[in-house]
Amino acid sequence: MAETTIELRNPSGLHARPAATFVKAATGFKSDIRVTNLTRDADKSAAAKSMLGVLGLGVSHGHTIRITAEGEDADEAVKTLGEMVKAGLGEAIGG
Amino acid sequence: MKASLRGVAAAPGVARARIWRLPERSSEGAGSQVDLEEAAERAASELESLRERLRAGGREEESEIFGAQALMAQDPELIGAAQEAIEQGTSAEQAIRDAGESAATTLAALDDELLAARAADVRDVAARIARILRGEQPPRLEERSIAVALDLPPSITAELDPALLAGIALEAGSRTAHAAILSRALGIPAVVGARGLLEAARNAHDIAVDGTSGELFLDPDDQTLAEIERRSAEASDLAAADAALRDRPLQTADGHRVMLAANIGQPEDSKRAIEGGAEGVGLFRTEFMFMGRATAPDEATQTGAYARVLEAFGERPVVIRLIDLGGDKDLPYLPLPHEENPFLGVRALRLADAGHEELLLTQLRAILAAGDHTGRQPWIMAPMVADLSDVYRLHELVALAAFGRTVGVQPKVGIMVEIPSVAMVAELVAPEVAFFSIGTNDLTQYMLAADRTNPGLAERQDPLHPAVLRAIARVIEGGHAAGIPVAVCGEMAGDPAGAMALTGLGIDELSMDAGAFGAVKRALAGASLGDLRGAAEHALHAESAKDVRAIFESMRAPEREAVG
Repeated sequence: MAETTIELRNPSGLHARPAATFVKAATGFKSDIRVTNLTRDADKSAAAKSMLGVLGLGVSHGHTIRITAEGEDADEAVKTLGEMVKAGLGEAIGG
Repeated sequence: MKASLRGVAAAPGVARARIWRLPERSSEGAGSQVDLEEAAERAASELESLRERLRAGGREEESEIFGAQALMAQDPELIGAAQEAIEQGTSAEQAIRDAGESAATTLAALDDELLAARAADVRDVAARIARILRGEQPPRLEERSIAVALDLPPSITAELDPALLAGIALEAGSRTAHAAILSRALGIPAVVGARGLLEAARNAHDIAVDGTSGELFLDPDDQTLAEIERRSAEASDLAAADAALRDRPLQTADGHRVMLAANIGQPEDSKRAIEGGAEGVGLFRTEFMFMGRATAPDEATQTGAYARVLEAFGERPVVIRLIDLGGDKDLPYLPLPHEENPFLGVRALRLADAGHEELLLTQLRAILAAGDHTGRQPWIMAPMVADLSDVYRLHELVALAAFGRTVGVQPKVGIMVEIPSVAMVAELVAPEVAFFSIGTNDLTQYMLAADRTNPGLAERQDPLHPAVLRAIARVIEGGHAAGIPVAVCGEMAGDPAGAMALTGLGIDELSMDAGAFGAVKRALAGASLGDLRGAAEHALHAESAKDVRAIFESMRAPEREAVG
């Protein structure tokens, strides 16, 4: 199992547009990928391929999330998704 | 001419056309021709093509709503939950509605406004899939029409042919509802929040929408229509005159500049303010985040909201006002004892010494974090400051909030001048703060002992009263002696006569709703600084607010001529 932990820096949190970018990217992998919002509830995780699941984690600016993956492309999935979140998922994020 | 109904003006302009109503759900329908999975797929592809259509039309921002909805329509969790219910014997249509409702409830419960707003989108997606399951087509306009409904979900609004949609009239909704945003984007008039509309329109054929005044007319006669059109033309002349002034700074006839800032109530107001030519935000009211919820918004939620505004305004200053909450607001997480006189009671900064220090500290931490995240300097403004002790308490709170964290971008800390006592000692306080912003609404109510909430005292509520002007003059003098800027962020700043008086008194900045920019620019452009100074001097010795108003009104060019 691969995993990574990152802080979300998007000013408006993981709202519809960045969440859509994230979910679409996750759907491209074969592995079972899950996301947890450690800041809000470390015991609740959601499928990364579910838009509603990801939105339902309520990830706001400054929250820390954990991405875990299990499957043949798990390492690559975690690495790619982690980098995308770090880069702002297509949104401008302040330094 | 009497309006049939009145609502909120959501998109300007006037139109008359046939009424188009949202088709009611037919009870028998064509029946389930497709299974859930196929219906969901079709819904997703409908949504994708809507998205493409809006994108091609340059409506990038709205198109994102449908992009997100397309993903929801194929969401494995949503479809999975519905499939399970179907296996238990629930009908496919009911199952998808239930699954949508349950997902919507989860989202609505989040203490993040932006995400909670997606709840409506999920319900909308479920309704779309249900419609496909019933074998029904998306709603269509047959002729030029005005849509009359309780509310219009975004997907239906976008589905309607813009060439045939002449206007929108809704019983529910607000200025920020999807349908309202869409109508402004399409340039068609809209009135929302018109209570009783559906009942009143039940037997009507035609409707006229005046999206400038917020009025609706059912089956209007030609004379009524001509009158509405005349008024609308006038309004659009004024709007055109405002637009022409957009890039002109706020200045007097002889070129004396006054900074023009906007009052905003939520991050979404930023765009309109910037488009209107705001040089900054003079008052960001933060109460919106605190109302109508069970718990106080956490630091992260607040940081997001503040960061969005700081980001939007870039180099331009943004003044964030600390919450002005008190006994007049009934909030579950802020239990305050009942007060006879909440406006003279425990509110705003005074909460810190009434057991609610943490509420203010969380807000201050969020502002500091927003400054760091965006690299922009936030201006922090405290309301309800009475004297120097309150100023020191404010600095202490800011220091407490910064304790244990590295603050990369130091905020500017200033005060709202609204309690007469602080106006009286302005020169003592000024060296201890970075700016003054005069809240003329409360300053007036406190100085004149005239309750703002009592309509019977409206005439005694005029900030142009010579006593209030003297207090303002004193604050400006005290501020300038210490070298700090002095602004006004009350209604007075957006009132042409008020703006003229303030300019004559030497104000540095006027902050108002973006809707008032044009009128205030025209008012100042019509007089020289010398004339305004003379008139202000005269006003300090006048008998009443009425007389002061007469002095400044007489200096103004008639609006109509100035426009023509």
